[in-house]
Amino acid sequence: MRDSKFIRRLQKELPVWAEHGWVRPEHQQDILAYAATQSGGGTSHLTLALGVMGAILLGSGVITFFAANWGAMTKLAKLAVLFGGMWAAYAGSGLLMARGSLMVGHAVLLLAVILFGANIALVAQIYHIDSHYPDGVLTWSLGALLAGWLMSSQPALAAGLLLGILWTGMEGFGFGGGIHWPFLLLWTAFLVPILRHRWRIALHFALVGLLFWSWETFWQTVMRGQGRLLAQVVELFLLSYLALFLIGKLMALRPDVEALSSVVQRYASFAVLACFYVLTFPALRRWEHGHAGGTKALDGEPALWLMGNFLALTVVAGLAWQHHRSAPAEDRPPHFVAGQALLAAVAALLAVNLFAPPAWGGVLALLFNLAYFASVVWLVYSGLHTGNRSLVNQAFGFFALWVLARYFDTFWTLFDRSFFFMGGGLLLLLGGYFLERQRRRLNQEILLRGEGGK
Amino acid sequence: MSLSLRIAVIVLLQTLALAAMIALKQRTLDTGAPVVLETQPIDPRSLFSGDYVRLNYAISTLRLDQPGSDQDFKPHDRAYVVLKPGDPYWQPVSVHHEMPALAPGQVAIRGEVQYAGDFLWNQETGTSEKVRNVRLRYGIESYYVPEGAGRALERPAAGEKISLRIAVDRAGAAGIKAVLVNGRERYVETLW
Repeated sequence: MRDSKFIRRLQKELPVWAEHGWVRPEHQQDILAYAATQSGGGTSHLTLALGVMGAILLGSGVITFFAANWGAMTKLAKLAVLFGGMWAAYAGSGLLMARGSLMVGHAVLLLAVILFGANIALVAQIYHIDSHYPDGVLTWSLGALLAGWLMSSQPALAAGLLLGILWTGMEGFGFGGGIHWPFLLLWTAFLVPILRHRWRIALHFALVGLLFWSWETFWQTVMRGQGRLLAQVVELFLLSYLALFLIGKLMALRPDVEALSSVVQRYASFAVLACFYVLTFPALRRWEHGHAGGTKALDGEPALWLMGNFLALTVVAGLAWQHHRSAPAEDRPPHFVAGQALLAAVAALLAVNLFAPPAWGGVLALLFNLAYFASVVWLVYSGLHTGNRSLVNQAFGFFALWVLARYFDTFWTLFDRSFFFMGGGLLLLLGGYFLERQRRRLNQEILLRGEGGK
Repeated sequence: MSLSLRIAVIVLLQTLALAAMIALKQRTLDTGAPVVLETQPIDPRSLFSGDYVRLNYAISTLRLDQPGSDQDFKPHDRAYVVLKPGDPYWQPVSVHHEMPALAPGQVAIRGEVQYAGDFLWNQETGTSEKVRNVRLRYGIESYYVPEGAGRALERPAAGEKISLRIAVDRAGAAGIKAVLVNGRERYVETLW
């Protein structure tokens, strides 16, 4: 789809370029013909997208049809339909793949995975199995992982990841048994084929899953009144995502995984800024110490969380050192050096925050705000230098959020309510307009440099 | 690994997973001790998966003031309820965190705590009574019935009494063997 858009745009632009004398008019058709021969992926991706939608529709139809017509069938006949349908779908996908129809084959494989899930639900119905229902979703997810892994199928793997997210959501929010650590095991199992095949779409799903789990864990901590540990949990996430960001940076240096590095950096920087944003609230520290007494430990003693923080700090330091060594001193661009300095400052601040007495709360919140602001500025700087527009966009988004939060913090009690809302409205309108203009200008600059979207 | 072998491995493992679901349930039904429980079907729903009734048992909410019962339950804890034979329904004896030693004739059914509290609504007196209690789920609360039959179970005719015959295996797992109306089998579960 991206190719056809490009060709349409080229068709519009070429006459203008010819008018300016940048290309010769007689070469326009040659350029278009060449561009057309280079666009191979559009049709196959459309086939896959249509196939996946077809598989989902067909799967849903099969489930509802049989579920509505169960009454007249014996158990044996029901099982024959369920198992036979699933086996046929797998056989069909194998046949299609063997004949070279890979995209349709993957779509039919996805149908088979959907039917496996339907079979779990329908077998449970036939035999009145009413157990811990997230287990069924986990089984389905594992089945999708198996299919995605063995058949090298990105759609099946992505479906499995979605089910994994659903599973952890059910366990975390439906059964509230504390932090759902087993999700990380499942997530790691999914990561292996993603890295092996360098699947970008599945990587998006995996990172969304990780962000969801992190949010769920944060929420569990808040809901269970673990004020004493909240800052440690947020810090641990911040450090972990900082480590992931550095891993993304290091991936960019390795040709075999370079294609995935921008995706990793994008999600990691988002999570780092989100964690940072939480730590900029002075109320967090007041809340944290206000709830210090009488709370029960959250899946382990506070000392374990502290150790986790130190371990994460060590990992971040190690990765930063490796990143530092990746370029000779004379080749290090200014944003690289600034990033390393900022990283050191943030790491020191986080280390101090772990042991700071409550009386330091105000100073630490101020320092976190300064560090947050510096990180946003650095992200814009780095995004501009490396041509990564998503970093620039994220930085602007988080800057706007930060300004709004500080406006609320500062003026909520100082202003009369009507002035507060009028001021807020003006801030949103004018600030939003200004920020959007700047964001577009910077994005345009990146595009003009020809490095956009990396 | 060839394409056909990979497909075969997926099909085999997924089929085994489904078969295991059936086998585990059937094992409970075949080897478990038969127990008759008093129940009140509630709230039949017709989802895309068919018509089913939710079953609320007399042992779904239990007082913890019976001698020997553990007290410190919280939601999502595992619990074992000791049952003794009664006429016609089996009666709860005590509630425990771990599988207790059983007297002859008794069985222990395994459940998950959904709620634990200190006040219980007494339907007879219409007042709230201060007594430690738990609400439990045993995994036998859903029963799928032919389309349209759910409402008949939810609202039995005058004089009809619904009860369930379940099987409880040695580990405490339970499965529904039959739905009884006035002690006579209305629906009976078979393997095929």
